[in-house]
Amino acid sequence: MRHIPRAIRRLFCLIVSLGVLAGCGVAGLPGDSGRETVGQPTLPALTLPGDDWGYPSPFAFYARGPGYVRMSLLFDTLTWKDAEGLIPWLADDWTTSEDGTVWTFKLHPDVTWHDGNRLTAKDVAFTYTYFKAQRSLVTWSWPLDRIDTAEAVDEETVRITLTEPVAGAHDVLFGSLPILPQHIWEGIDDPLKALGEEVVIGSGPFTLAEYSKEEERYVYMAHPGYFKGGPRVSSLVFIKVENEALALKSGTTDYAAFSGKAIEAAKQFADDPEFEIIEGPGYWVLQLIFNTSRPPFDDVVLRRAVAHAIDRRRIVTQVTLDGAVVAELGVLSPETDWHHPDLPTYDHNPDEARRLLSQATEAAKLLPLTLIATAEYAREAELIQADLAEIGFPITVQVGDTGTLDGLLREGNFDVAINGHGGLANPAILESPTWPAMVYQNEVYRLIYEAQAQLSDDDARRPLVWQLQEMIASDLPVLTLWHPKMWTVYRSAKLDTWFYTPEGVGFGIPLAMNKLSFID
Amino acid sequence: MSYRIAQYLFIIIVLLTLNFFLPRMMPGDPISYLVGDPGADAPLLMTEEMRQNLLRYYELDRPLGEQFQRYLSNLLRGELGWSISQNAPVAQVILGRLRWSLLLGGCAAAIYVPLGIVLGAVAAWHSTTPAGPAILGSVFFLGSWPSYFLGMLFIVFLSLKLGLFPIGGATSTLSARSGVLWSLVDVIHHGALPCATLVLGNLPGIVLLVHNSTMGLLGHDFVRAAKAKGLRQRRVLIKHVLPNAMLPLVTMIAMRLGFLVAGSVTVEVVFAYPGMGALITTAGIARDYPLLQGIFLIIMLLIVGFNLLADLLYTRLDPRVRATL
Amino acid sequence: MNVRPVTISAAHRTGIHTGVSRVSLAGLIVMSTFGLLALLAPFLAPTAPNTLSAPLQPPGSAHRLGTDDIGRDVLTQLLYGARTSLFIAALSTLLSSLLGLLVGLIAGVFDRLGFVLLRVADIFLAIPRFPLIILMAAFLRPGLPTLVLFFVIFGWPRAARMVRAQVLSERHRAYIGAAKALGASHTRIIVRHLLPGTLPILTVFAVMEVQHVILAESGLSFLGLGDPTIRSWGLLLSNAFRFPTTFITDQWVWWALPPGLCITLVILALTAISFALLDNAAFVS
Repeated sequence: MRHIPRAIRRLFCLIVSLGVLAGCGVAGLPGDSGRETVGQPTLPALTLPGDDWGYPSPFAFYARGPGYVRMSLLFDTLTWKDAEGLIPWLADDWTTSEDGTVWTFKLHPDVTWHDGNRLTAKDVAFTYTYFKAQRSLVTWSWPLDRIDTAEAVDEETVRITLTEPVAGAHDVLFGSLPILPQHIWEGIDDPLKALGEEVVIGSGPFTLAEYSKEEERYVYMAHPGYFKGGPRVSSLVFIKVENEALALKSGTTDYAAFSGKAIEAAKQFADDPEFEIIEGPGYWVLQLIFNTSRPPFDDVVLRRAVAHAIDRRRIVTQVTLDGAVVAELGVLSPETDWHHPDLPTYDHNPDEARRLLSQATEAAKLLPLTLIATAEYAREAELIQADLAEIGFPITVQVGDTGTLDGLLREGNFDVAINGHGGLANPAILESPTWPAMVYQNEVYRLIYEAQAQLSDDDARRPLVWQLQEMIASDLPVLTLWHPKMWTVYRSAKLDTWFYTPEGVGFGIPLAMNKLSFID
Repeated sequence: MSYRIAQYLFIIIVLLTLNFFLPRMMPGDPISYLVGDPGADAPLLMTEEMRQNLLRYYELDRPLGEQFQRYLSNLLRGELGWSISQNAPVAQVILGRLRWSLLLGGCAAAIYVPLGIVLGAVAAWHSTTPAGPAILGSVFFLGSWPSYFLGMLFIVFLSLKLGLFPIGGATSTLSARSGVLWSLVDVIHHGALPCATLVLGNLPGIVLLVHNSTMGLLGHDFVRAAKAKGLRQRRVLIKHVLPNAMLPLVTMIAMRLGFLVAGSVTVEVVFAYPGMGALITTAGIARDYPLLQGIFLIIMLLIVGFNLLADLLYTRLDPRVRATL
Repeated sequence: MNVRPVTISAAHRTGIHTGVSRVSLAGLIVMSTFGLLALLAPFLAPTAPNTLSAPLQPPGSAHRLGTDDIGRDVLTQLLYGARTSLFIAALSTLLSSLLGLLVGLIAGVFDRLGFVLLRVADIFLAIPRFPLIILMAAFLRPGLPTLVLFFVIFGWPRAARMVRAQVLSERHRAYIGAAKALGASHTRIIVRHLLPGTLPILTVFAVMEVQHVILAESGLSFLGLGDPTIRSWGLLLSNAFRFPTTFITDQWVWWALPPGLCITLVILALTAISFALLDNAAFVS
């Protein structure tokens, strides 16, 4: 009799102790006690929204865009980009050999690492050799196997030789590889698992004061001795928020980035004098990917029928609320130099679509077809389904998560899918237009692509890149839908030097998060 | 007793196998996820060579049977492996999140269990006066909302408009402040709204059960006998009515505690709280096999553990049941 | 243990009694209203379910509850959502209850078989939900049956456990012993004597489970794991959540609040109804 309430009491005590223990364990955490604020007290401290993008060492960050940005605050590259384009960075100047394979860089003098050692040509040579050796772990930079040798000619000159000329190397390669301190990295065999304090010692404008993986928080402190100039902020803190607009409005954060239909949220800040808004290029595309390797979408006539059937303008207006623009059919963003200005289009014409449909192979009419998409683009899928139903071409919509979609695309186990990707400022993205599905096998296309990948001269390269876009527009392995607009809203009193980097930060990240914003 | 332990061991083995194979049955794989995010800003083509290199690096290129054996032998040594998507030891990732889930869930349970018992019993005792229905009405009204919606309302009114609480997170950046007391206050400040949301959502279940159990017993002889003996109301309630009402409650609480660790995903997402629930979702999307295996192991152990506890408590509490088991 | 054997009439055991309290009546009215609205949705809805007009319109004469971010009428979605949500919850709960009842009765009466069944139930309880929903979405045909199956998989173990607990307690009562002595078969004992006693606890389970399914379904949509082609209240609510301006403007009042309120009212009504069923029920341990 008595032990019944006792059992309950014990259970209760167990629960409470669990909770309190966890609480004490949490409260007494050493990871949360950071250092004291360094830097001038009059400079603002910025709080920015973001998720966990990995420990910001040059190897441990998650390969998707924002991860690289976090790392770039700590490390520098040989070249960089500002609001106009390519600029010298760690390298003051450079020369290229005739055939474009030998690059000689003259480094900026008196650059130091965060631990006080000097950055020399030896560090640069070591970096390129090391990255080449570790290239199987680097999923974000592709021409690493084209690095042949790297050697320090003297204290401030380094010569890097490539196995063959790489198109855009000054930007893609030399503008994205962070220079590592040799004295720290030469002893590290497994850079992916190196997660100590020493691997975030770089030459950049900030030092890392705190990183909490589960709370998805980064704290950067300004490094006053930065070789490019003093900092404009005392610290940068990245925190996780559920809703960027709400966080900005509540004063928790000082910046928010919106794209696509989220621009509606940006408009809420348009009339508020506390905030300013800048617009940037949307180097991203949402597209319909056809499985060209099997019926019925191996028939180009059917693909063109679908192109005429779909009302892309209506999708942009209705679903993205004009937060996007109807995409160019050549995939590359209209805001880059590579863009082909005069591509064929397929206007919304249901009659033409029906006519083409009747010409298409019989197979098209027999198979039950599925359009796969993630939940995020279910609306687009439904509108497309409605458009196709109108011309007498029924398809069913199946929704899965990103992993499922990705798996089906890579296996080539789909009919048609809605998927998107970025990197539209770089012609390298044209290598496989149906990425991540590898279903488009066109020998002519492949040859043209490989030819242009070798040319260092942009003007020589451009006609070939245009040809690739023409082929995509006419052959339609993908039907592009829209490019999102990108807006950044920020609290101007704290910092007003935000800008969008043409062709993206580093290897093409379309955020307005360039470290130049934070220094004088 | 040993028979029962054997049964539970069998369950654990079945679940271990399930936990190993289920994630691998999902379409997609962790290597593809590393560059395959459709939202990727600059997706770079992964060559077959690179893919094989990464598969080898993460030991995913071995035949499945060998991977399973390796997994089991590592498990016996207490090795949970390396998380592919988070690039950290699985144990560290889980522990980092588990403590927050335990904190939030534990504090919520420490509040809603006793509160629910009290409210349910009182409401039943006073069922004939307006107090009873009033208690029930308010508990059920507040607790019937989808938890993330309630949480969001809290955020909009108490955080955004009134600025009384932070909009999310578990702690603030403490580089300026330090010290255990400040940390504790900070944690409580951040945890108050999510905890309140969880409490409100879980109260109705407990209150309903306790109320109905109590109501069912109130008409019985022994209660009337106790009342006739002149015992005070509260004494009657606590010493005679309540214990009998406890049995189904014990089962329910034990089962809920098991799920406590899985975290309340939607509440964690709304408040950007670093709990296990949100981790499961991101690990699942990333198809992070080692991390998923580790998470499911912990959850499974806790669920099975609490079920075992429920069974044991049941035996102790009801001697007639003990006779058959 | 302060429990004495008490004789309570069969009528009380099954929870039938004459006076229905006003609260339960109110609950019944509310549920009937929702049920009616759900049934008559195609006739009551101001627009056809897929028509699009101007997005994000505040409530006006054309759209009583405004439109959502793609231009669909919110009131229409609310009415059709009632159909979907109520149907999913009702069907899942019915199936879970039946399966749980069956398993619980057997497990409570036959000890050795009961052990096996209980372990099976434990395994089902511990199956991780995330891979399961992904697998089901990937390999089964998309649609309502898959979703219902998902909820039944996790619902029946709870019912089985509760029923079994109840049966275990009831088994030792004098009247069961008497029936056995009189030569009643197992089936007869189960159906005529034990089964009625399980109905109260099954009702508690059913109420909790319907609530759980409605909330879980909306949670799945919120996390992006639901099926966006199933137009439920959960989907409407989560669409509102996903849109970035909903909660920093007053849009939430006519877009998020209606489905949220509907969900809450249904859950409240069900709880109120359960009082009528359980009032005076013998909840003897």
